Amino acid sequence: MSVRASNAALISRVLSGSWRSNANPAIAVSIRELDAVTPLVYDSGAAGLGWWRIRDTALAQTPSGELLHQAFRFLALQARIHETRIQRVLVSLRTAGIEPILIKGWSIARLYPQPGLRPYGDIDLLVRPEEHLAAARIAAADEFRDCLIDFHPGAFEVADRSIDDLLSRSQLVQCGDEEVRVLGNEDHFALLAIHLLKHGAWRPLWLCDLGLLLESMSSEFDWELCLGKNSCRSNWILSAVGLAHALLNASINDETISGRANAPAWLVASVLKNWEAPFAAAQAPHRHRAPIKSYFRRPRGFISDLTRRWPDPILATISANGTFGRRRRIRYQIQNCVQRAARLGLRDIQPA
Amino acid sequence: MKSNHQTKPRARKQGLVVQALPDETLVYDLDRDRAHCLNQTASLVWGRCDGRTTTKEIAHALTKSMKQPVNEQIVWLALDQLDRNHLLSEESFIPKTVAGMNRREVVRALGLTAAIAIPAVVSIVAPLPAQAATCLGQGQPCSSSPQCCSNLCSGGFCNSP
Repeated sequence: MSVRASNAALISRVLSGSWRSNANPAIAVSIRELDAVTPLVYDSGAAGLGWWRIRDTALAQTPSGELLHQAFRFLALQARIHETRIQRVLVSLRTAGIEPILIKGWSIARLYPQPGLRPYGDIDLLVRPEEHLAAARIAAADEFRDCLIDFHPGAFEVADRSIDDLLSRSQLVQCGDEEVRVLGNEDHFALLAIHLLKHGAWRPLWLCDLGLLLESMSSEFDWELCLGKNSCRSNWILSAVGLAHALLNASINDETISGRANAPAWLVASVLKNWEAPFAAAQAPHRHRAPIKSYFRRPRGFISDLTRRWPDPILATISANGTFGRRRRIRYQIQNCVQRAARLGLRDIQPA
Repeated sequence: MKSNHQTKPRARKQGLVVQALPDETLVYDLDRDRAHCLNQTASLVWGRCDGRTTTKEIAHALTKSMKQPVNEQIVWLALDQLDRNHLLSEESFIPKTVAGMNRREVVRALGLTAAIAIPAVVSIVAPLPAQAATCLGQGQPCSSSPQCCSNLCSGGFCNSP
């Protein structure tokens, strides 16, 4: 696999340890390199962390530094606005007797040393399947038009755990005037690790989340609970830990885990490849030019678009429930293509 | 009209989102859809605009908290900027020696060296940075089910479960 790693290597250097309160390790980036990397961290959602890394250096005074600073300020204000939205949504749901678990977004952003370092847009809420419809109805009200609420009657990332278990291990934390229910630490880590991989780890911010959690976890953290009983999922989580260590210099305090957390070379290379253009538009499926069905009528451009659809090895591994070993990914990629083709065919033969 | 010394400015509270940071305060004006950044001096002045404290008392309080002598004109300069950016609830009476002067002129008029930062309220202008939206919504193109919020990718599009 040929990897043009310049952009990705820069991202790795800039975001390495960016979740820490102190400036450790010291950033070694020239002004020209900062200029090159700023659009990448900016558009991938890591502008706040970019600013945090350079804030006490001469780079902060450069035009790129100033842009990152302004972005950080915007994101800090947005964080405050989002908090008020979360509180409003929770009050309404609780009034209706629904107790959701807030996942991703705020639940990880709150752990960073400053508001605005970790942006988020959606309010992702895990609800019991039987409460899903009622919750969606409440969220459809006019008063929540400014909120992007996603209700999840379950989540792929924690599909090996029952909602009752997740609720029993969940914890209440303060968000302004309201208490918010978030996942227990072990479930939270598992969710974020698998979430990162199921999206091909293209957003560097997601790996920073893992770095933050790895370095802030207490000695009480139960790794066995986090890894779960499914060997495949436990491999995914350990691979994500290995990635955070390999690419962002995240410390792994547990010796047993650090010995098991290995990201194979192809996985590291795939993530670096995705970081070359860490934008949603550059990733599957957004990079596809047109729906495959449209080529049945007008085949022009079909071959070139087909190459864009060759699955990312990380996504293919997850979609095939494979493990992140050293073996080549080709079998998972072919399996992914066959699955997609079958789904497309099935849709066509289903009566309207 | 009240004299300057009797003026008790009051900070606007309604329609603002405020985020305090260690060295500055960020304010988003929901009515005007504008974001402002108050430096430390402007933040300290704004924080003491409670409608009960005079400008002279604010200057005293600043002197204490900044451990530097703070001229009352500094307070007036901050109030002028806060007022221009609609961050005060009532019209403040800005002395002619401060109103309309730019920062350099005020520094010259006050004879400041660089004891404290001149109060500054600046607009935050930047293209909207990306947020971290993750899973794909209903109807969006997908290549595998885990990419969709609904966890159901069917026929190349995310469907409802």
